[in-house]
Amino acid sequence: MPLKILVTAKRVEDSESKIKVDAAGTGIVKEGLKYKINPFDEIGVEEALRLVAKHGGEVVVVSVGTKDVHEQLRHALAMGANKAVWVHHDGPIDQLGIAGCLQKVVEKEKPDLCILGKQAIDDDQGQVGQYLAEWLGWAQATFASKEESLESEAEKAKTPAIQLAADGKSITVIREVDGGLLTVSSPLPAVATTELRLNQPRYASLPGIMKAKSKPIEELTPAGLGVDVGVKLTVTKLAPPPARKAGIKVPDVATLVDKLKNEAKAL
Amino acid sequence: MSVGINRYKADLRELCFVLFEQFGFSEYAGKGCYEGWDEATAKAILEETYRIAREVLGPLNSVGDREGCKVVDGRVKTPKGFADAWKQLFEAGVKQIAVRKEFGGQGGPYSLYALIEELTSGANTAFNMYPGLAWGAAEVIAEFGTEAQKKLFCQRMFTGQWGGTMCLTEPNAGSDVGSAVTKAVKQADGRYKLSGTKIFISGGDHDLAENIVHLVLARAEGAPAGTKGLSLFIVPRVRVDASGKLGELNDVQVASLEHKMGINGSATCVMNFGESGECYGELVGAAENQGLPQMFRMMNGARIAVGIQGLAVTSSAYLNALEYAKDRKQGAPFKQWKDPSVPRVAILEHPDVRRMLLELKAHVEGIRALVVKLAVHRDHYHVLAGRDDDQAAYHQGQVDLLTPLVKAYASEEAWRLCGQAIQIFGGAGFLKDWPVEQYARDSKIFSIYEGTTHIQSMDLVGRKLGQSGGANFTAFIGDINGFVEANKSHPVLGKDVERLSGAAEAFMQVAMGLMGWAQGGKVELVPLNGNRVLTMMSQLSVAWLLLDAGVKAEAALSKLPAGHADRAFYEGKRYSAQWFARNVLPNVEHLAKLAMIEDASPVEISDAAFAS
Ligand SMILES: Cc1cc2nc3c(=O)[nH]c(=O)nc-3n(C[C@H](O)[C@H](O)[C@H](O)COP(=O)(O)OP(=O)(O)OC[C@H]3O[C@@H](n4cnc5c(N)ncnc54)[C@H](O)[C@@H]3O)c2cc1C
Repeated sequence: MPLKILVTAKRVEDSESKIKVDAAGTGIVKEGLKYKINPFDEIGVEEALRLVAKHGGEVVVVSVGTKDVHEQLRHALAMGANKAVWVHHDGPIDQLGIAGCLQKVVEKEKPDLCILGKQAIDDDQGQVGQYLAEWLGWAQATFASKEESLESEAEKAKTPAIQLAADGKSITVIREVDGGLLTVSSPLPAVATTELRLNQPRYASLPGIMKAKSKPIEELTPAGLGVDVGVKLTVTKLAPPPARKAGIKVPDVATLVDKLKNEAKAL
Repeated sequence: MSVGINRYKADLRELCFVLFEQFGFSEYAGKGCYEGWDEATAKAILEETYRIAREVLGPLNSVGDREGCKVVDGRVKTPKGFADAWKQLFEAGVKQIAVRKEFGGQGGPYSLYALIEELTSGANTAFNMYPGLAWGAAEVIAEFGTEAQKKLFCQRMFTGQWGGTMCLTEPNAGSDVGSAVTKAVKQADGRYKLSGTKIFISGGDHDLAENIVHLVLARAEGAPAGTKGLSLFIVPRVRVDASGKLGELNDVQVASLEHKMGINGSATCVMNFGESGECYGELVGAAENQGLPQMFRMMNGARIAVGIQGLAVTSSAYLNALEYAKDRKQGAPFKQWKDPSVPRVAILEHPDVRRMLLELKAHVEGIRALVVKLAVHRDHYHVLAGRDDDQAAYHQGQVDLLTPLVKAYASEEAWRLCGQAIQIFGGAGFLKDWPVEQYARDSKIFSIYEGTTHIQSMDLVGRKLGQSGGANFTAFIGDINGFVEANKSHPVLGKDVERLSGAAEAFMQVAMGLMGWAQGGKVELVPLNGNRVLTMMSQLSVAWLLLDAGVKAEAALSKLPAGHADRAFYEGKRYSAQWFARNVLPNVEHLAKLAMIEDASPVEISDAAFAS
């Protein structure tokens, strides 16, 4: 039962870059930053590739943004995705706008399954997968994870964690919930979102990077898709986490105990 | 997956500058045999390789150092994680980028591969020896093997299915490989029976691949003495049939492992061939006594790879020292050094720490430029061969000329500069908690294997300077003079560019002097000054290339708006060039003066006078 899977590749700031809040206090300084594919999305690409390796089918990767998102699309293509869709949008956009674009791309591409990151590491909104499932009227299995560890043999063998039923009509997903795992089953088509423990994404092979150059990237626009991307959600304030206060040195254990008791109220 | 912590650091911005901006990657990539290559692809490949270097190889670097290799039941067991890393490296295609398509590679430019080697060698020098040697051995078969040999061995070795080694050294044949006594006796079926002992064989055995193909230097029965009588033999650890199917073991034994100062994750083996009289091999190619040119071919590639090892660890030592210097607080600002009330500052603020860091930065960048220049000449050669033979010959000539410099200068400086990186750390650098002590220990071997520094210097003065009637050397000096003419009025670097002329002239004088000594009865002055000449030419080259980078960086800088993030990078290039031109380049003229003293004390002093 070949599967057509749609995955996403959001362009996000690399967590190794030093992030600074800008002067206006509503955004970050973009100068000199490095970018990469959202790690949750990368896990989605990996899961899709494993499913397709097992069941056959194809993987389509989508990204919404400026021409720069080609880097992230090419990365997913180099990992092994078959084709890419670029929704070209240069201005600001919010989660509603992105989900709206994805909905139209899904209606056009007609995948059996969408796999998105449960959130993006830039603004941690965690909304898009849920909007998308809602608007498509599809079932959703969020926070997909698995029982085996990332050091397990199953992981080394690149076994997909999402199970496809023998008739190809439904999937079983293990969800990470507070204090445990919850197994759900859903008919296809469906939307799944990924947890960090779902898998360890592969490296883009270097021959894969070469091949990715000749794989197609289709360009679409919100207007062409008939999506209103007018921003409804605005960031009003962005603040860095409070700087750690300088430590103090205590002369002896007695003072330490005293301070822990009376100042920190830890004892 | 990661059992250790990654300490490896590289500066991809700088790697991309050298390859794309300084040496014009796009001028040859995309042409002729490199069709389909471009900057964006090369950059993506470097980024992904760096990720693999940090995530797969880096964490195993200290693990390999501490665990080392063991012999268990006659087989070498490599450190934990090495086998997995081998698999991942070849799956990701890292080692196959510059391998010809017919052997399962991507046919990419060698200059890109040189930087990939930097990333993998730097992340884990000892590990990278295993695939590196397999690559080198496969290259020899690809160039000199019969069609059947190429078909049987090359793809399997280039793609990691089989490993490979180079077995040259014997107890009495180190620098003097011509003394090798390992014997090969021709059998009725055309194969050879080998017998002998090889020592110091890197990766002589391991558990990373299903077979290991040894290239063994030996003397066929009845062959002349010395280097003329050497032949190279293909000796698989497990015998194979023409289809590549593995058969019986081939009487190749690891007798023991050496216990070493560094690169402990790399097994250095004493190997016995034919102890039971059952070791079979075949000649590389079809004729006997071709071992020397074949070996030179193999060694040229390996020598460049050793130079890259030196560059790679020094670069990471520099970046680690820099990070530490920003963090470690000690002492007062130097202008208020007597005032105990001023807050303590990061050691990065001390002038002498900055001097050490800039010395590291300038050397790393200059040596990288030298490595990439050599590699780019090789790429140009491949693009031009058969189309413009004069130009192709020029490029090949520069590759030949620069190989001993890359091998010897990068390796000697690695040992010295890793020591300096430890100095920047202070006491912490001497501890195993930080990576620099391992870098220092690992780097000492670079100036020894694949021909000691002196062997390189003799290659330079005895062969390379006079090669092609001196044409390669003349072209090299011509290129420097052309650069000086074009840039001596440069508004920022002009004065420093002018310093090149004096150094180039002083160097030429000594180079001419060598001939005079050789013909004028002072032949001992040639080896006595060999290493010095090599240093002079290396420092001259590095100064030139840093100034070239500086001029290009200034041009780029003038196009950037104030406050642009890249400005600091380009300004850094200016300071590397300027520092080297003022603090190292003048040394060339100084060394020339020393050479002209014609001191022969080391050969005049009697053996007994050294000490009895
Ligand atoms: C860790 C390690 C890995 C190695 N891996 C391999 C390998 O994979 N395959 C392999 O075949 N070999 C390998 N070697 C051997 C290495 O190539 C030799 O050690 C090297 O060539 C030097 O030879 P030697 O040790 O016998 O030193 P010697 O040749 O004894 O040299 C000792 C000193 O004498 C000097 N000297 C020697 N001859 C002359 C001369 N004619 N003129 C002036 N000075 C001279 C040298 O420069 C040196 O300073 C390895 C060695 C080590 C330590």
